[in-house]
Formats: sequence, C-alpha cells, structure tokens
Amino acid sequence: MKTPREVLFERHWAARPKLDAIRREMVSKINHQGTEAQSYPKGLVFWFLGCSNTLWRELIFPSRRIWAGLAPIWVLLLVVNLSQRDEPQVTMDKASSSAGMAATFEQQQELLAQLIGPNEPVVAEPQKKYVPRPSSWRCFEIVTV
Amino acid sequence: MTMPAMAESEHLPVQQAREGDSPAWDTLFRRYQLPLYVYVFELVRHEQTSLDLVQETFIAATKYIGGLRDDEKFGSWLFGIAHQKVLLHWRKKGGKEFLWEEIPDSPDESQDSPDDGIIRREQEAEFMKLLEQLPLPQRSALLLHFVEDFSIEEIARITETQAGTVKSRLHYAKKSLRKLWEAKNENPA
Repeated sequence: MKTPREVLFERHWAARPKLDAIRREMVSKINHQGTEAQSYPKGLVFWFLGCSNTLWRELIFPSRRIWAGLAPIWVLLLVVNLSQRDEPQVTMDKASSSAGMAATFEQQQELLAQLIGPNEPVVAEPQKKYVPRPSSWRCFEIVTV
Repeated sequence: MTMPAMAESEHLPVQQAREGDSPAWDTLFRRYQLPLYVYVFELVRHEQTSLDLVQETFIAATKYIGGLRDDEKFGSWLFGIAHQKVLLHWRKKGGKEFLWEEIPDSPDESQDSPDDGIIRREQEAEFMKLLEQLPLPQRSALLLHFVEDFSIEEIARITETQAGTVKSRLHYAKKSLRKLWEAKNENPA
C-alpha cells in the first residue's frame, strides 16, 4: 500500500523536468555570482588593460607623428613648469636681501653723522599771539598812513 | 522512481550552502524541489504559478540563508518561505478562498476513537485524492504532515500559528477526509 507521500509525489512526478531546469538555472546563477565575486580584482586589471589598448590603437597610433612632434613641446613645458616652482625661494631670498640692505643703509648714515657732525636742530620762531583789537583801531591805522 | 529522502535521515550540506558552495545548493534544491512543488501546487492548483513560487522560494533561500540559525531546521525554514510566498500570492490575487479562518480549539484526543479521528493507513492514499476539497488551512497542515512528516511544532512555525491550532486543523482535516471518503463510497457515481 502506498503512503500519502508517495501518492502525492507520483501525482506531480511529471513536473520534475521543469523543476530540474529551475534548479540548474539557480545553481548556475550561484556559480556565476561566486565566480564574479572571486574574479573582481582580475576583471578590474583586464578592464584597465583593455582601455589602454583601445587608447593606443585608436588615439595615439594613427597620428603618431603628430604626437611625436608634440612630445618635445610638452617636455619643454614641463621643464618651464618645474623651473617656475623655484620662484618662491627666489622671492624669499629677495626679502632677506632687502633686510640686509636696510642694515647697511643705517651703518652708512651713522658713518656720515660721525664725519659731518650731527645735524643741529633748527629753532623755530615762536608763533605770535593773536590779540584781538576793536575794529575802530583798524580805521585809525588807515587814516594815519 | 526515487523519492526524496526525509529530512531526519540525511545530512544536508547547509553550512556549505551558506558559504556559497553551488554543489551544496544543488543537493538542497534537488532534495526539496518536488516536496515544495507538491505543497505549493496542492494549495494554489496552478502549474506555472507553482513553479514560479518554488523558484521564488529558492531565490529567497539563497538570499536569506545567513539568517538560518539551526541547520537542522533547514527543511521547515524552506517550507516557511514557500508558505509565505503562497500567502503573498493569494493576497495579491485577492482570493477570499485563502482566508485562514480559525476553527474551534483542538478537541481532546481521547474523544477520538481509533476509527474516528485517525485515518487508517490503507485509506490514506485514497483520502489524498479528496485533499483538494478541504479548506486551505486544513489542507496546508495535512500536507506538511504527510509530505515532510513535520511535527506539530514545526508546522506551527511554518504556518506561524499556535501548536493547538495546528492540532485542531489536523484533527478536522482528517475528520473531513473521512466524511468525504464515506460519502464517496456511499455514492460511487
């Protein structure tokens, strides 16, 4: 006598090929995901190699003479660029030399003072005090003149 | 014809599957594809829908295997996913048929005479043909009991119900099957 389990399985036995197909699809997906995860760094390297190869093949190689002509200009620009990087140091040198010049100038002034003597200070005349007078005095002065 | 073995009599490569081993998944899918299909088909009664739901169950299993704590419970865990997929399918469909209406509490087992509550083994196969006439909650509990021989507690976990409810459903399912069987024998036409 068959068990209920056996009866049920027999009833649906025909679905097995379809279920097998689903299983195979699922397993291949899992397999693919696993392979993809493992080969990620390798894939990245290949991607970079592929990109550089395409770049060489399509951009550089067809116009190689032009690129070769441009190369010395780039080298020259690079040299100029590198030489300009030293400029801040020169500026700093300039700043330090100006300080030295100021010191020399002070020394020279001291020497000059020793030779010709110190500058006498000019005594300024004291400012006259303004004394207000009546306006009739002014008329008197005019008459007398 | 080789039937899939019962869960307790085999060692399943659940840990290897968790680590993403595809042959381990192949073994697990091979073991459960037909029992799952039988369970789902007997509930939804549509071939393509059943195949889709089995596939969705497999996809969810591969996605959430990390959440499974006890490897020994892989079978009931997988059936739990399938059960949820079936419920979701019915909700989407708006089917009123799949309302999990509660039936009275489990009667005392002592009330059942050997001929009353328990179906005799020789009659079980014939009773299964009448399975589709049962209400869905009872059908679900009975299928889980017959197909994978899950315990009351496991069926309760799969269907997210109380153990008492499962007992009750199994009892009434068997009783209903017996009545249907008797009615069929009385009216063979």
